[in-house]
Amino acid sequence: MKLKLNEKDISILKVVSQVAGGFILVVALTMIFSLVQLKTINPLDNPVLLSVKDQYDKDPANAAKAEQVRAMDLMARKAYFSSRWQVETGSYLLLAGAIIFIFCQRLISDNEKLNPVLPCAKKDSSFQQKRNRRYLIATASVISLTAIVASFVLRNDLPDPPGQSGTSANVEAKGKETAPKPDKTNFPFFRGQDSRGIAGGSGYPTEWDGIAGKNIEWKIEIPKQGQSSPVIWGDKIFITGAKDKECEVYCINKKTGDILWIGSASNIPGEPTVLPKVDQDAGLAASTVATNGKEVCAVFANGNLICFNMDGKKKWAKNIGVPENSYGYSSSLVIYENLLLVQYDSEKKISLIGFDIETGDQKWETIRQGHTVWSSPVLAYFDGKPQLIINGNPKVSSYDPSTGKELWAVDCMSGDVAPSIAVNSTMAYAVTDYAKLAAIKPGTGASIIWEDNTYTPDVSSPVANDEFLFISTGNGDVACYNPEKGDTLWTHYFMDQFYASPIIADDMVYLLDRSGVMHIVKAKSEFQLVAESSLGESTDCTPAFSDKKIYIRGKKNLYCISKN
Amino acid sequence: MTEGTNKYQSRRDFVRRAGKLIVAVPLVILPVALTKKTSAAGYVWQIDPFKCTQCGQCKTNCVLTPSASKCVHAFRMCGYCDLCGGYLRQGVKTISTGAENQLCPTGAITRKFVEEPYFEYTFNEDLCDGCAKCVKGCADFGNGSLYMQIRHDRCVNCNECSIARTCPSNAVIRVPADVSYMPKDAGVVKKGTNE
Amino acid sequence: MKKALPYIIFVLLLCWHAVLYAQDRFPRPEFESGYVYPTNQMPTQRAPVWEYFDVAVLISALIVSTWLALKKRSRQGLIWMSVFSLAYFGFYRQGCICSVGSVQNVALALFNDGYTIPLSALLFFIIPLLFALAYGRVFCAGVCPLGAIQELTGFMPVKLPKTVEIILASVPFIYLTLAVLFASTNSQFIICRYDPFVGIFRLDATYTMIIFGVLLLLAGIFVNRPYCRYLCPYGVLLNVFSRFAGKHLTITPAECTNCRLCEEACPYDAIIPSDTDQNREEPEKSRKRFILYFLLIPLFAITGAYILYYLAPALSGVNGDVRLAREIRMEKETEIESVSKAMVAFKESGKTEIELFAEEEIIISRFKKASPWAGAFLGISFGIGMISLTIRSKRSEYKPHQGRCFSCGRCFKYCPIKVQTQNEA
Repeated sequence: MKLKLNEKDISILKVVSQVAGGFILVVALTMIFSLVQLKTINPLDNPVLLSVKDQYDKDPANAAKAEQVRAMDLMARKAYFSSRWQVETGSYLLLAGAIIFIFCQRLISDNEKLNPVLPCAKKDSSFQQKRNRRYLIATASVISLTAIVASFVLRNDLPDPPGQSGTSANVEAKGKETAPKPDKTNFPFFRGQDSRGIAGGSGYPTEWDGIAGKNIEWKIEIPKQGQSSPVIWGDKIFITGAKDKECEVYCINKKTGDILWIGSASNIPGEPTVLPKVDQDAGLAASTVATNGKEVCAVFANGNLICFNMDGKKKWAKNIGVPENSYGYSSSLVIYENLLLVQYDSEKKISLIGFDIETGDQKWETIRQGHTVWSSPVLAYFDGKPQLIINGNPKVSSYDPSTGKELWAVDCMSGDVAPSIAVNSTMAYAVTDYAKLAAIKPGTGASIIWEDNTYTPDVSSPVANDEFLFISTGNGDVACYNPEKGDTLWTHYFMDQFYASPIIADDMVYLLDRSGVMHIVKAKSEFQLVAESSLGESTDCTPAFSDKKIYIRGKKNLYCISKN
Repeated sequence: MTEGTNKYQSRRDFVRRAGKLIVAVPLVILPVALTKKTSAAGYVWQIDPFKCTQCGQCKTNCVLTPSASKCVHAFRMCGYCDLCGGYLRQGVKTISTGAENQLCPTGAITRKFVEEPYFEYTFNEDLCDGCAKCVKGCADFGNGSLYMQIRHDRCVNCNECSIARTCPSNAVIRVPADVSYMPKDAGVVKKGTNE
Repeated sequence: MKKALPYIIFVLLLCWHAVLYAQDRFPRPEFESGYVYPTNQMPTQRAPVWEYFDVAVLISALIVSTWLALKKRSRQGLIWMSVFSLAYFGFYRQGCICSVGSVQNVALALFNDGYTIPLSALLFFIIPLLFALAYGRVFCAGVCPLGAIQELTGFMPVKLPKTVEIILASVPFIYLTLAVLFASTNSQFIICRYDPFVGIFRLDATYTMIIFGVLLLLAGIFVNRPYCRYLCPYGVLLNVFSRFAGKHLTITPAECTNCRLCEEACPYDAIIPSDTDQNREEPEKSRKRFILYFLLIPLFAITGAYILYYLAPALSGVNGDVRLAREIRMEKETEIESVSKAMVAFKESGKTEIELFAEEEIIISRFKKASPWAGAFLGISFGIGMISLTIRSKRSEYKPHQGRCFSCGRCFKYCPIKVQTQNEA
């Protein structure tokens, strides 16, 4: 089917193909030009049109302007559709031109006379093979090297494993952190070191009588009342109180009971003029202070956040916005390295904020999702990494305390969440009244290992170590669970309600009920009551333990209990 | 000499036959391995209107110009409002069909008075370019009766849909060819008098 | 109280309605004028039976091409076959689905539970390979639309120096490996995305792809079939399968007389000359080298596996979810808010970061599991490539290299040997 073409035909074909080639070039150039135009000035988003529309917006009654907009809009739409038509027709024209061009060229090249030229000496095939092998090795080596280099250069893309902060130096150190053993002297946060509820040291008193004065070393009246619990560092006790707008931080000598200094946390810029609505019981001073031995920080329910040094000199103070919530703000503070961590729960926003403890500058804020809660954050160590765990509604969530990055979260709570988390070395426990007690395995993909809803406190936080989990509820029940499996080891009904959180000290659990009676049981798998000691005053706050002495805040007074 | 080459030929043939068998094995195993994962009918691409966030990429990412995805109106969900969030742009001072009030850049929506106080909004598919502005307006301010769908008389059914690749909410998915559309009003209760 | 009862019931019913139509901001109208809801057109696509028609056309085209290349030996016939394939599979079917891309569908189906491969796609993958196993790369000769468009525009063939050839010839292996890796992890179909000719078939594509396609075709005028030789991932498979074909296109219709006239005929450098007149290497040496490379193959495989394993996190960046997770981390670190559409949609979707990071971890672990295999494949291919450059074979005839020959028939007119047909006899 081969066409035999003579010279004349070939020259005609050449001319035709040249014409076709030229035609293609012209059409292509026009299309490119119009496409570029289309890209740079999209007729529908024409700035002139938009500005006319803006003008019309400012003066909507002006009918002339409206007409202008309509005219321009019509023009713009016409331009848009015509440019689309142009592109379509242009591409068909290009195709037609290309077909002609290729057809002619094919005929020309197929009819080219073959001039059989005998090639020169045959190439040495084995030499060629050797050379080809070398080239192949070279190519493969280059590709491998590029891949290796790329894998190092692009390593920055590696996601940081959860829980580690950005800088690599910190990564090295942090990887190995474990929960430090609680100090025998310092009780720096609400519920002690890391807010766990475990006291260090031993030899704590078990028997006292507040009315008779037995084993009470000293008792002082705190100038202003509050719901915050005492906190101890060295020889100093820190506690807060408030009356109406006046908020104060007290530093008390733990040996003598003398007030060393009073820090005023009022008249801070940004402070609201109207007091936030708080529950009658709560008052403004419900959050417990936090200290690290250099600074002591306090927060109040009107949003005042203040930091003093250990001698009472104010370092910085600010108002972080009133945390409006129904019962009154009560989350306590935690300090981690050089950051002051504030669990901020307000109707409008709930978050975890990290402030630089030296300057008070906000370093980061991580927005939390869900509803306001009244729990406090707990510092835990899992897999060698520190995490700040918050009992939230609906999610229990964990954050990197240096950066605020959320590490994991589990959906398990509901209702009014006030108890804080209990942690041991492997698990975290969350509970609240009218919900359930959930045992959570922390980490990415955190899940609930077991749950129970027989004993659920509404205020008191549970406490756990690796052998037991203790819960004291608002109706007077105390339960001891196996923390791994969740079976109840023992329960006991005490007559009075528990608001204060239980503290494990000295292999014993100190449970303080609302009437001021401390029930001390052995931290064992069977119920064994050691003693019941009454303070003689109603108590809601969690006691502090330091150097063989217990410090309890009653409604009006602060007591120091020691074995004499 | 010839014997040597013959032996060589037969060795070569043997290698070739053996190689053929070895290489043919995966070709045979493949359909067997995929028996459970083969379907007789094919797939088409479609937008899940409940996942769509009206980002506007349907217009720009489709390989076709104009895009194969167009706005569809689920009339049974429509409120037939005078102040239509999908027809009128935000902040209009007067309600009219003037171009200065229309949200649609290509004028693909027609507004027609039905009865007091209801207006019907219909679409000219040839004018619609899939920008999803009306869909966003209806979702933000109206009943959400406007939604994007890929029209299968235009869609080329690429092996991997370019819109699917970049859809920020992973709303473009493969659906079996006999289903091919995901209407928003599939489960809406029918009203007696109007059917 | 009794009087109030109907009102109470009415209010309750209203509330119930509010619950039912809770999502509606505006209540649906109750039309009094007899308005009838318009129906929406829902045009369907091609009926599925046409996909099987395509498969039938594929098989017929393959049969015809095989006959043209092996039996009839007609280059003109193959050219017209290419025109037909370009018109049907290219412009009419708009280049989709094609056998080149079907590799990805197979990979996706093998490693993902959520996807079932359509039978026609599987057939498009297998059938050309079967023909290649039996008759050589006849698919490339007259059936593949991408090959057809390049074959038809290859007017002035120019030979490339061997160095460049070898470097470029390794690209299809990498392309195939990456394509299978990305398809099997459900990240992206890169073959489809970077297909240079599909935009020409559709007469519609992004600017970059059109420019790439046109440039490739222009380059293909001189360096013929550039995509086939230096990019086509399916070509790797065809190359392997074709080597074992019992019947293959031959340059000469009868016995080769070693006249050497066809030596420069092939623009793809697929003609292997005979070497009976050459000094060949000592058999001992080449046998030793053969054994050496054979034993080194596991080493190549392991090296490849290691390299790609460490490259896995970077490769996983192709996946959209992984990119979004990285964007979020970047946003946190730099405190510059990202306004990309993906970010905005993610924030609106209510999905938590934790869920996304968990998904990201899963994807990266999939990449880490798959990449070593990809690397091992590359290592083994390298090893086999080295071996094939070591094998010495006594060749007494000029034959096409069964792996590289596209069965295009260009060499037919160079061979002076003509077989007498029955008529002439």
